[in-house]
Amino acid sequence: MTSWVRLTLPAAVAAAISSPSYAVQYLTIDAAQKLAFPSANRFVENGSLTWKAQAADRLLGLFVVDHVIGKHLYIDYAVALDPTGRVMRVEILQYRESYGGEVREPGWLAQFVGKSSSSPLKVGSDIRNISGATLSSLHVTEGVRRILATYGSRTR
Amino acid sequence: MSCHRRCVSTSTPSLASTGRRLAALMTATALSAGLAHAQEVGNGRDKSNAAASGDVALLRKLEQMEQRIRVLESQLKQKDNQEIARARGQAPVPPADGKPAKDRRDGDDPTQPKQPKDQKGLAGMLKPDWATPVPRDLTGKTAPVNRPNSIIGLVDSPVTGMSIGAYGEMKFGLQQNPAAGGQWQNGFDAHRLVLLPTYLITPNIIFNAEIEFEHGGSAFDADDKLHGSAEIEQIWIDFKMIDQFNWRAPGIDLIPIGYINEHHEPTAFYSVNRPEIYHGLIPSTWKAPATSVYGRLTDGLYYTLQASSSFEDFGGDFDKRTDGNAVPPFPTGYPAGITGVDALGLGRPVVGDFRQLSNDIAVTGQLSYSPPMLPGFNGSVSAYYTPNTTPRGAYADAGLPLGRSSLTMFDAEFRYRVPNTGVEARGEYVFVSFGNPANLRANNDTDSTNNVGKTMYGYSGELAYHLPLGNFLSTDWELVPFYRYSFLNTQTGGFAGSDLNAPTGAGQTQFHTAGVAVFPSPQIVLKATWQKVINRDPAGANSDSVLGGVGFFF
Repeated sequence: MTSWVRLTLPAAVAAAISSPSYAVQYLTIDAAQKLAFPSANRFVENGSLTWKAQAADRLLGLFVVDHVIGKHLYIDYAVALDPTGRVMRVEILQYRESYGGEVREPGWLAQFVGKSSSSPLKVGSDIRNISGATLSSLHVTEGVRRILATYGSRTR
Repeated sequence: MSCHRRCVSTSTPSLASTGRRLAALMTATALSAGLAHAQEVGNGRDKSNAAASGDVALLRKLEQMEQRIRVLESQLKQKDNQEIARARGQAPVPPADGKPAKDRRDGDDPTQPKQPKDQKGLAGMLKPDWATPVPRDLTGKTAPVNRPNSIIGLVDSPVTGMSIGAYGEMKFGLQQNPAAGGQWQNGFDAHRLVLLPTYLITPNIIFNAEIEFEHGGSAFDADDKLHGSAEIEQIWIDFKMIDQFNWRAPGIDLIPIGYINEHHEPTAFYSVNRPEIYHGLIPSTWKAPATSVYGRLTDGLYYTLQASSSFEDFGGDFDKRTDGNAVPPFPTGYPAGITGVDALGLGRPVVGDFRQLSNDIAVTGQLSYSPPMLPGFNGSVSAYYTPNTTPRGAYADAGLPLGRSSLTMFDAEFRYRVPNTGVEARGEYVFVSFGNPANLRANNDTDSTNNVGKTMYGYSGELAYHLPLGNFLSTDWELVPFYRYSFLNTQTGGFAGSDLNAPTGAGQTQFHTAGVAVFPSPQIVLKATWQKVINRDPAGANSDSVLGGVGFFF
């Protein structure tokens, strides 16, 4: 037992010191914006925690940051929408809880790509439940649905 | 207000009677009065003779003022809409398209996105509202509205970062009582109510606990007829360092073995009672004094490594331990913690008062995997090892002391929800091996029927189907019929020790479990379960049941 502690503790300390920027924040807003819109050269604020991504004067889409409660604590996430109101990308910016971090898996988040305000966005139908992260997956899905309802609708 | 605006603007084109109009404008603007009132006042001042040139300049100024008031009004309206949207927890409405508030107001829910209704042409028609140019939001970048978390979903927490969740289950119905010769008896159990306080001390340091009330209370009170427990099921502080490495400080924690031991909320399984493997083979809820490290290794792969207080082969009450933290002295005798009948159900270590019966530390490792190439699949393998389960002062009923015996447990399980269908499959296998069965109390307690072999094992397979029931009471209901087969063998043979060996066959049990779980929302479940239990005891298992249950988790 003690040898186990001797082996892992220095590694843990070293890891914690050498990369403090990781912390529990996985992505900053700036980094997530660049990931979502690599060709954008300008992010124009469009209201509270909402940005329009532009290349020159061409509109590439909208970038929205929001949070939902997971099991107990906030999950910060970002949604990138294309100009027609479809989801281009969803990223988890910050996840604070001890359980349920599986919502950060790229494969799970990729399910949102292409969704629009007319998609059902229901866990268990078009979005998979994550066993062990039931509440987190449920609430992130509700969050994306909320953003699409607010920003993703089209004029008929 | 609209009357005011109208009466003012209708008077502007005419230049016939400058003085009267000017007086009317001034009065109307200052007092927000109606047309009739304005004209009345104006008539009263009909004879005033202001200089014509000064009038024109003043008129222009007034027109500018009026314009300014309109702009301010529209900005105020926008701000109000944003406040409303924010108060409802929605993202703010994008600022308007520069038109006066009056034009955007009619019939619009302020929380709903605005559609540009004119001036945008075809391009505007094809784009969502935010894609059209809007004036910059004067409020600028604002931080997220940091509402405090809730107390069991009812009221906002007075402490930012503090929240209290809850889960619980109620059970009722008919079951055979093996202690009454298999008589069917009707009953009810407020099995558990668990409160889950969480406190975000800093973004990287998190406090978690589970406070559990079992069987309806904790007092021994003839009047209230309570006979339950209140216990701290979990309490620990997590230090979140990096994605790959986090530390859970010493506390009471769950042994990370299998799936249901850690995720035992009633919404995580479909039967009224927990799956049979967790009734003793894995002694759920298996908690222990423990510390652990955990993290993410790569996409979908997570690990946990835990050190915990060892499992103990002692099935007696807390107060039966001596002050020397040993079993009651010979020849009092004591019940075993590991038996062929209850498996490991009685030997969980104590969590209080420095009353552990050995110095031994167990280690548990778990790998959980959700392969990116197989969406919907989750699985885990875990192993538990303790070098010794024999408590201090252990002895056989013949008086001979009992030596050490290790315990190794291995578990593999999966859950697979086939994407885009309602089909779900689960499977689990668990295997327990004892280092030296001759030193187990059950094999030396002069009870010839509860003996323990070299190993124990169990497996189960489950099929479930998720059927949407549609929207009712403003929520989407789901019906989940399921069937599960479990086989447990807790008396495999190869018995050792000083006892005679006459197992009844009660240790080899099959369970057929079928039922439905109705989820009004993912946080609530209503269950009905039928269970048939078959074992090799000639007297029969006498443990069939038809149970209903209500569970919640939020």
